[in-house]
Amino acid sequence: MLLKLAFRNIFRHFTRTFLTFLAIALGLAMLIWIDSLLTGIDQDSFEKIINYETGHIKILDRGYREDEENLPLDKSIEKPDSIIEKLKEDPDVAGVTSRINFRVMLSDGVDQYPAVGIAINPADDESVFLLRESIDKGVFFMGDEEAMLLGEALAEDFRVGVGDYLTVLTRTKYDTYQAIDLRIKGLLRTEDTKIDYAAVVIPLKLGQDSLDMGTGVTEIDIKLKDPSRIKEFRERLAKEVPGLEVATWKELAADVVAIAQAKRGGTSFVLFSVFIVALIGISNTILLAAFERTREIGMMAAMGMRRGQIVRLFVLEGAMIGVFGSITGCLLGILLNIHLVNYGIDFGYVMRDIGDIGYRTTAVMRGVWNPTMIVTAFVAGIIISAITSIYPARVASRMEPTEALRKA
Amino acid sequence: MPAVKMEKVIKNYRVGRVEVPALRGVSISIEEGDFASIAGPSGSGKTTMLNLFGCLDKPTEGRVYIGEQNVARLSSNKLADVRNHNLGFVFQTFNLIPVLTAFENVEFPLILLKKGKPRERKESIMNILTQVGIGELANRKPMEMSGGQQQRVAIARALVKGPKVVLADEPTANLDSVTGESILKLMLEMNQRTKTTFIFSTHDPMVMSYARRLIKVHDGQIQSDERM
Repeated sequence: MLLKLAFRNIFRHFTRTFLTFLAIALGLAMLIWIDSLLTGIDQDSFEKIINYETGHIKILDRGYREDEENLPLDKSIEKPDSIIEKLKEDPDVAGVTSRINFRVMLSDGVDQYPAVGIAINPADDESVFLLRESIDKGVFFMGDEEAMLLGEALAEDFRVGVGDYLTVLTRTKYDTYQAIDLRIKGLLRTEDTKIDYAAVVIPLKLGQDSLDMGTGVTEIDIKLKDPSRIKEFRERLAKEVPGLEVATWKELAADVVAIAQAKRGGTSFVLFSVFIVALIGISNTILLAAFERTREIGMMAAMGMRRGQIVRLFVLEGAMIGVFGSITGCLLGILLNIHLVNYGIDFGYVMRDIGDIGYRTTAVMRGVWNPTMIVTAFVAGIIISAITSIYPARVASRMEPTEALRKA
Repeated sequence: MPAVKMEKVIKNYRVGRVEVPALRGVSISIEEGDFASIAGPSGSGKTTMLNLFGCLDKPTEGRVYIGEQNVARLSSNKLADVRNHNLGFVFQTFNLIPVLTAFENVEFPLILLKKGKPRERKESIMNILTQVGIGELANRKPMEMSGGQQQRVAIARALVKGPKVVLADEPTANLDSVTGESILKLMLEMNQRTKTTFIFSTHDPMVMSYARRLIKVHDGQIQSDERM
């Protein structure tokens, strides 16, 4: 009977109930949608960092990371071959390669833009990274040749294409200037901002020669067969390469992880506020209902309804609005998420103007399915609706029957 | 045997900082099966008496008995139970639950009492609705009924659980005289048929003329008490 009564009561003022319900539904749908988008961007960014920038684990010279910003060439691994050979035979390792990262000024004779140079080993780079698959125009290196691959957006800035030449200005390990004219062999489209907007990729041999690195590299990159065992592997590897530093991708991308978390924190706070507003709506709706139905409450009390039963009636009404709001909110969230997961949103037109915001996404941001979040949102919607109804319900139950009956 | 009883009841209300006496030492006993009217001008204390008999309020001093139980100092939940088991109410403004049908309104006290299986409940509800003359309106909601019909539902609701006493606070005040009279006839008929005690308050001479016992109150005291 209480259920039936509560159900009919919430439809007494259809517009008011509908607006309250809508606030909850939209709040939940937004929560699900934003969570999906943020988780999607995080996952996507992390995947790109792993696939284009760090691999799962990197070996660096000790001290390199303190000066990481400047891409120091003097902090290099002089003889990487023996380590690489050994790692190639390691049963946990799926792939291993080595790179040199260096600072570059790129010039077409008129304009000049800063960029990041990456010297890669064309023979084994694809065992760790996905650059070969990301060639949009032109071709990948056949071997150690005098050519470069360029981030597609960077090429657009210079209005150059495959076959054109650009001058790469850099400094060698011994800080002397070096300039080489290189033909663009291919354009890279990775959707990783660090690559597409700023990368100049050259073969390792060319890099070692023009940077006076000898046989040295700045990093050895490793891809694991089972990424979940990354910590154990890191510990084992650290013992095997004394004098060098072993870092996981998470440590290397610590700033991105931190930025992602900070953004998430900010967004969660805004969303939480939206949710709270919706819930104040419920509380208000129930409180209004309690005051409007004063006489009715008095009559129910006169007929022998206990205070607890009156509280239960109003809490049930709040919870029911919560149930309808949560069902609709979750369905709406799922519906919006289908689009977000399958098609994503193209932020391409703003991302270039915004520049580097930490996320490694240049264009389409996609959501992911997060069932835990959907279930949490659903349950929280109902429980919190019920809880916020407790106060107005108690107000209703505390009315003295005689007082309540006297009121018109 | 008294159905309800008051002994030396004083009831004061606090209005702001002032104590206003509503009843000044009232003692009275209403016998089982009485059809009693408490009559008096407004402010005389008749509604206060009805509220005290109805366990809706507690006396400042004195004792109030429902049957043999002194209810003067019971907790609000205990009072709710006493009301639930022993008392039926009819209000001036009918006070039906607008979202429930006539049938469901009458069913409501039975559910609070957890009385009877659904089929038995249905039988007794339809029986009482028929007795008060609105059996065919069982599925109508209050808004779809006239004032007189709503008050009949309220009487059915008050009687359905077989209470010791039905308390009616100016039950005809919101009805025209013809409908009011028909409601009084119905109450009297139900009193005679079911032997349920009826206590109702009024200041209307027509209503008083139906009473079998007329208790006149004035300034919080009983002025006269006569059987008709």
